[in-house]
Amino acid sequence: MSKSSDLVQGTVDLLILKTLALGDMHGWAIAARIRSVSNEVLQVNQGALYPALHRLEHAGWIKSSWGESENRRRAKFYALTRAGRKYLEQEQATWERLSAAIALVLKSVPG
Amino acid sequence: MRWLSKLRLRVRSLLGKPALDRELDEEIRFHIERQIEENVAAGMEPEAARRAALREFGGVEPIKEECRDARGVTLAHDLVRDLRVGARQFRRSPAFTAVVVLILALGIGASTAIFSFIDAVMLRGLPVRDPDELVVLSWRARTDPDTRLSMTGGDCNGLETSPMARVRGPGPGAAGCSFSRPFFDQLRDDRGLLAGLTAFGNAPPLLVSGHGSPQRAYGQLVSGDYFAVLGVGAALGRTLDRGDEQRAAPVAVLSHAYWLRAFGGDPSIVGRTVRLNGALFTVVGVADPDFTRLTPGNVHDLWLPLSVRRLIDARWDQIYEGNASWLLTLVGRLRPGVPAAQVEAAATVAFRGNVLGAEGPLLTAADHPEVRVAPATSGLTGARVQYRQQLLVMSVAVGVLLAIACANVAGLLLARAGSRRREIALRLALGAGRGRIVRQLLAESTLLAVAGGALGALLATWGVEALVAFMSQSQSRPLGFDVAVDGRVLAFTALVSLTVGVAFGLAPALRATRVDVASTLKEGALATSGVRARLGAGLVVAQVALSVVILVGAGLFLRTLDELRGVDPGFRTENVLLFDIDPTLAGYPPPKIDALYRELRDGLADLPGVTSASWSEARLLAGAGWAATLRLPAPARIVDVDLLRVGPGFFQTLGVPVLAGRALSAEDIAAAPAGGDANANGTRTAVVNQAFARRFFPGRSPLGEGFQFDGRGPEPTWQIVGVVGDIKYSELRRDVWPTIYVPSQRRGVAFEVRTAADPMRLVPKVQALVARLAPDLAPTDVKTQSDEIDRLLFRERIMARLSGLFALLALALSCLGLYALLAHEVARRTREVGIRMALGARDGDVRRMVVAHGLALTATGIVLGIAAAAAVTRSLGAFLYGVAPTDPVVLASVSGLLLAVAFVACYLPARQATRVDPMLVLRSD
Repeated sequence: MSKSSDLVQGTVDLLILKTLALGDMHGWAIAARIRSVSNEVLQVNQGALYPALHRLEHAGWIKSSWGESENRRRAKFYALTRAGRKYLEQEQATWERLSAAIALVLKSVPG
Repeated sequence: MRWLSKLRLRVRSLLGKPALDRELDEEIRFHIERQIEENVAAGMEPEAARRAALREFGGVEPIKEECRDARGVTLAHDLVRDLRVGARQFRRSPAFTAVVVLILALGIGASTAIFSFIDAVMLRGLPVRDPDELVVLSWRARTDPDTRLSMTGGDCNGLETSPMARVRGPGPGAAGCSFSRPFFDQLRDDRGLLAGLTAFGNAPPLLVSGHGSPQRAYGQLVSGDYFAVLGVGAALGRTLDRGDEQRAAPVAVLSHAYWLRAFGGDPSIVGRTVRLNGALFTVVGVADPDFTRLTPGNVHDLWLPLSVRRLIDARWDQIYEGNASWLLTLVGRLRPGVPAAQVEAAATVAFRGNVLGAEGPLLTAADHPEVRVAPATSGLTGARVQYRQQLLVMSVAVGVLLAIACANVAGLLLARAGSRRREIALRLALGAGRGRIVRQLLAESTLLAVAGGALGALLATWGVEALVAFMSQSQSRPLGFDVAVDGRVLAFTALVSLTVGVAFGLAPALRATRVDVASTLKEGALATSGVRARLGAGLVVAQVALSVVILVGAGLFLRTLDELRGVDPGFRTENVLLFDIDPTLAGYPPPKIDALYRELRDGLADLPGVTSASWSEARLLAGAGWAATLRLPAPARIVDVDLLRVGPGFFQTLGVPVLAGRALSAEDIAAAPAGGDANANGTRTAVVNQAFARRFFPGRSPLGEGFQFDGRGPEPTWQIVGVVGDIKYSELRRDVWPTIYVPSQRRGVAFEVRTAADPMRLVPKVQALVARLAPDLAPTDVKTQSDEIDRLLFRERIMARLSGLFALLALALSCLGLYALLAHEVARRTREVGIRMALGARDGDVRRMVVAHGLALTATGIVLGIAAAAAVTRSLGAFLYGVAPTDPVVLASVSGLLLAVAFVACYLPARQATRVDPMLVLRSD
């Protein structure tokens, strides 16, 4: 999959951070959780997921550690950092403002 | 704390790459296996589950690549990998690599060599302590000061107004950097102004004796604190100090190079005595080897205190220490806290006091005399001024050569990129980013450039050595510049290599990655990359055009040299031996000098193989000469003429025809008992040249006419007794000027000896003769007249040689570039050629097609090149002689040469094209 556009990239980041706010988990679990919480609507492609995870870790919003997964295998778990938590709050507020504004525009009646 | 974990991560990424890669592998593997489990749990067969999981995941490698990119430190790793891959590529095609590296080495090597000269001559600082603190003083005024004596040490060339150009009365202004002794003393005593001030000036010619055979040396007279102010130490013994200025027993300090050259590096020299012009001096030390000179190009063999001048200069007078004699260059060290502007102001005040109030004021207040203070590193110009223009021309030539080399290599790489199309298309298809591949190709080209640079630096070292040897051969003094391929120059080489690598690599890399992936992977042998062909052709045209520029430049320099050598100097220059001798340095009184010269002349004439001998007070065609101002009668006028004082037989020895009257005889030249310039009869006789007669006595004979020298008081009258043919006196370029010849006044002279055969074979006999007649003197600067002319033409010779070399290289490179392009095209278009031949084209037609293409490219390049050359060579005007910058002969020859070379370059590919078997080509499709 080619490089995502900025908007999509930002959205994936937000979803990942929010998911991790609910608890530490590894990459597969994050994708599964997003799918289930959104009722199968949002399917995050691996081509977007893993680069996003590495990018977020590089930027310092999340941190990783190796641990044992639910099926007794070694997996890389990600967790939100404190800075990441703050960043999530900011981005969530921005997102809500943005989507409210879009909704207003879409609801406007011609004339 | 975010930055801390970020830092940790970055360090880990940089250092622990393999471990991180393994982790990434594991992370992805875990995901896939988890998905497989999920699929199996949903009811899929294990095999189908695996395939579904893999398919869902997508391309593993690109995702891994992106993750790695997200880490952000992949650049360094990629670079290393690119370089490794590049090196492997080159090992596989050693011939190609060798050719490319060689071409780059020639271009970069030439640039390095020229830069090392530029660095040594123009850029290098002064070899003293804290050179930025040193300043040099100069004066400025509206008119020329009325000095008694003013000499320049050549320290601020370019600033000083030439004495010949000085005008009395208001004019464009005068400037210089020579000052008087009282001014120096006054400024030095002002303790708070500068941290130190020193004065120096050139010493008169020195004859060093008392240690082996007598030899000439060149010295500098300096104030006692010279070495202290400059911060230069001694390698042996000590340097001068303030006390030496008053010391009764005179001392001298040798330069390191002179010590090695003249005394064989003998450490016992300290404390020994030598005779300088007959006076006894004690050598107290040898200066630090790094201190070769202060002013660029002015190399001195020894340093003496100012006070000893009267001991070594027979013509010295106390009056030369007064206000009206400006002989000293002043260099000072700034005191911290005292800015240069303050020094300027104080010095100007002192200067005004000196020149305005002096008995017989040298300047008036209206002349606005002032002193300026300039940093010594830029203010002491010395020989830089004379080399500046040549270095500029050479830089341009070398730049053009480098551009040709880059275009050449770019063309070769472009052709080779064609054969790597498939590899690149495959990589693009596998998901590699275009930027990645361009980066890798750039890394390859940079690797080539660095290899070329390394080899080039080696070539430059040899080149510089050869050039320096050639230059030293032509000078009698050491070069005055340490030219070497040192650290600074190598840094330049590295910079040039990297720039070149990107320059010639970029276009082919961008071109190579602009491939249509699908068609390239599917294609057969036919590939119509028209754009690449156009780019390749463009590069060849560019190379040819640039070559034209260099070739035209070389042609002009060669023609100039040829024209200069062809100038008729008016006398016979072959088989004449020259040497200088100066008995005044050994304290000979005038009668003894007369006797010596007479005996020498007779002795020389008696030597077997010698036709005749004479002497004169200047050599011919040595770049310098004497001048005089005369007062002529009827109509009364004052004229400037060239002057040469000669001995008997001068015209006969040099083969100058006597056109009217007679030459100066021995009686004319022998001294009168009354002294002065009159001969035994009390009359003064002179001979003039034809230009003098034509200019000042047109239509009549000047014989019997009289003239006087233009002096301060009444002057005796001279009578013209003969007219001789015009000769080129000091320069070949300069037109013949009215010249007068008068008897020699018993100064140091140059002897001319005409021989029947090779003059240099007589040198031992001449030396033996001088040793016999005057054991305390030595013949110096022994050369033939032809060598002297070569030395005069040194600048033109070196320009012709260097530009000729560059032109040959440029020609070879263009030829190679054209050949490579055509060969590649022929190989590429075998199918088209085969079809043509199948359709009835004959060998000749195919050959013609190839050659026509090559010649068309060359012709385009020639036209563009001539236009460029016309613009560039316009600025060469001052160098050229006898040939215009757009000389049609040169342009035509260059065009013809390039077309001929191009024809040869086309020939092989043309022949190759005819070897195509049409049936084979058609069938192999």
